[in-house]
Amino acid sequence: MAVCTKGLDKYILSLRLLRNFQLQNERLLSTSTCRLATEKDGGKPPKFIPPSKPIIIDKTQTAASLRKFLSPEFIPPRQRTDPFKFSIERKDMIRRRKVLDIPEFYVGSILAVTMSDPNASGKTSRFVGICIQRGGKGLGATFVLRNIIDNQGVEICYELYSPRITKIEVLKLEKRLDDNLMYLRDALPEYSTVNPDIKPVPISPTDEVPVNKLKVKMRPKPWSKRWERPKFNIKGINFNLCLTPEKMEHAQKWAEPWREYDMLKEYDTSKLEEQIFSEVQREMNK
Amino acid sequence: MNLTTMAAWSCRILLQRGTRLISVRTAAESPSPLVGCIRTVKTTTWFEEHLTEDNQEYMRKSTAEEYRRQMAEKLNPLKDEPWPRHEWTEGTRRVGLVAVKLGMAPIWTKTGERHVVTMLQVPDCHVVKHLSKEAYDGRTAVLLVGGKNVSPFHRSEEEMDMFRAAGVPPKQKVTTFKVSDDAIVKPGTPLYAAHFRPGQYVDVTAKSIGKGFQGVMKRWGFKGQPASHGQTKTHRRPGASGPGGDPAKVFKGKKMPGRMGNVFVTAYGLKIWRVNTKYNVLYVNGSVPGHRNCLLKVRDTVLPNRSSTLLNPPFPTYFTEDEENLEEDLYDDDLFVHTEPSLTLT
Repeated sequence: MAVCTKGLDKYILSLRLLRNFQLQNERLLSTSTCRLATEKDGGKPPKFIPPSKPIIIDKTQTAASLRKFLSPEFIPPRQRTDPFKFSIERKDMIRRRKVLDIPEFYVGSILAVTMSDPNASGKTSRFVGICIQRGGKGLGATFVLRNIIDNQGVEICYELYSPRITKIEVLKLEKRLDDNLMYLRDALPEYSTVNPDIKPVPISPTDEVPVNKLKVKMRPKPWSKRWERPKFNIKGINFNLCLTPEKMEHAQKWAEPWREYDMLKEYDTSKLEEQIFSEVQREMNK
Repeated sequence: MNLTTMAAWSCRILLQRGTRLISVRTAAESPSPLVGCIRTVKTTTWFEEHLTEDNQEYMRKSTAEEYRRQMAEKLNPLKDEPWPRHEWTEGTRRVGLVAVKLGMAPIWTKTGERHVVTMLQVPDCHVVKHLSKEAYDGRTAVLLVGGKNVSPFHRSEEEMDMFRAAGVPPKQKVTTFKVSDDAIVKPGTPLYAAHFRPGQYVDVTAKSIGKGFQGVMKRWGFKGQPASHGQTKTHRRPGASGPGGDPAKVFKGKKMPGRMGNVFVTAYGLKIWRVNTKYNVLYVNGSVPGHRNCLLKVRDTVLPNRSSTLLNPPFPTYFTEDEENLEEDLYDDDLFVHTEPSLTLT
């Protein structure tokens, strides 16, 4: 009996959910204006009017529910440079961001970058690839895209604030287990191959960014770096397939567990980040 | 008794004890630890001897506040009694600036090329003193220019007299600029980054980063010796120091290991890409000597081929009264400004 009631509950719940979805759909899409226009002229064969694009307005989303994102190059490095230098650089960065839309992206996201190039046919070149590294602070910030084209690995390092960049599209927004995917150079080529014609995967601006927990298979050694060493702290490699447990144990010889307690290396940016975030938001909305 | 005097006393007592201890053992030991002790004695100034800690704190704060107010008001002695000004003619030598190195940043030109620039800030730069031709060396007149305000409590009385005569706060760095007779500026005149204009070339002088005692490979770029192939204890050594029997000596000026860096170095002919007149920042092409936050000397270049870029500069310097509607940012013609749309190259 108890099982029966449980099942019924579930059924009712799912029904409710379904109804909710329908309601949401109605709220999201507004295509009604298009229908009215076709009904008016009755006698003549109606001229084909392409339906207007559905305007998606999600009123449930507010500014507070949007995910907070501050591009990492805004956070100044820990050094003795005058903070004024970074603030004056930030002004230029915001000016550039007002002209060019630099979207939110992470290491592991798939990007398409269009760049004006005097040597390319049509004077622009578009490159699609997976972002494997973000580097630099301030105006000199860079990111590296990797793809495999004609069985040849290609990496391009773009300057984020270069005026030659005309468009940056995020085709797939996701994170990976690591902050640096340079080990894809030593992984099997299928892990860095991206089809240049893929459609952008939409993601709501309120949701959390999904983390792709993919573990890559590596090519046999030698690698460009000994990725099993603890200093890289890599989680995205399936070491079981390429290294014996003895070798993994041996790599721990270079572990430096005391580093995490080094108080001189501590750099808490949370306060600074909040400050800069509010400053950037204020300036961007001006 | 306040804290600092107490600290000083305790220090003194310690020192006395130290000397006593050492005097007991002087026969056995060399006098070097004694010398070390004496070198650590902190010479107390009038300021520290006569004021309590609270008063010192108050004095520091109030003087800093006063200087800040003075800088904000932009007091210019030219208002009362200006010195006669002359027209710019080619070949005249203008005064320069004292600047602080902020750091480096990239810039892009309108053709999409990337250059790096060094950002130099010009903080509270003033003309401090004028020495006429006769007073200096009989050849050129000289202007002393100071930059970056500091506390007056650790300056000597002669120095302070110089600053008081000019009516400016004491400066961390004071340098001399040789100027031609028609380019002299009245002491007390503030100098701004707009003294230099985008497109012109400057020379930057500063003390280079000290590297300590270095070998011959790092200091002079010698090749050294191979790592393997039977080398014994010979990898980074200088090798021979010259011919043998005939001169029978090592020539003077032979490149040898020694102290490297920490000497005044001038970088010549650096282009100015951009000038921020609000915050007084110069964007100078390439790298300049010195570490971050070091004080350096910026002047019009002496290179003969770049004189054509110096056409009608603000003379003898930039006065805020002359060009009141100067824009916040002055850019070079080739420079990409970040408010422009992205480049389309052909």
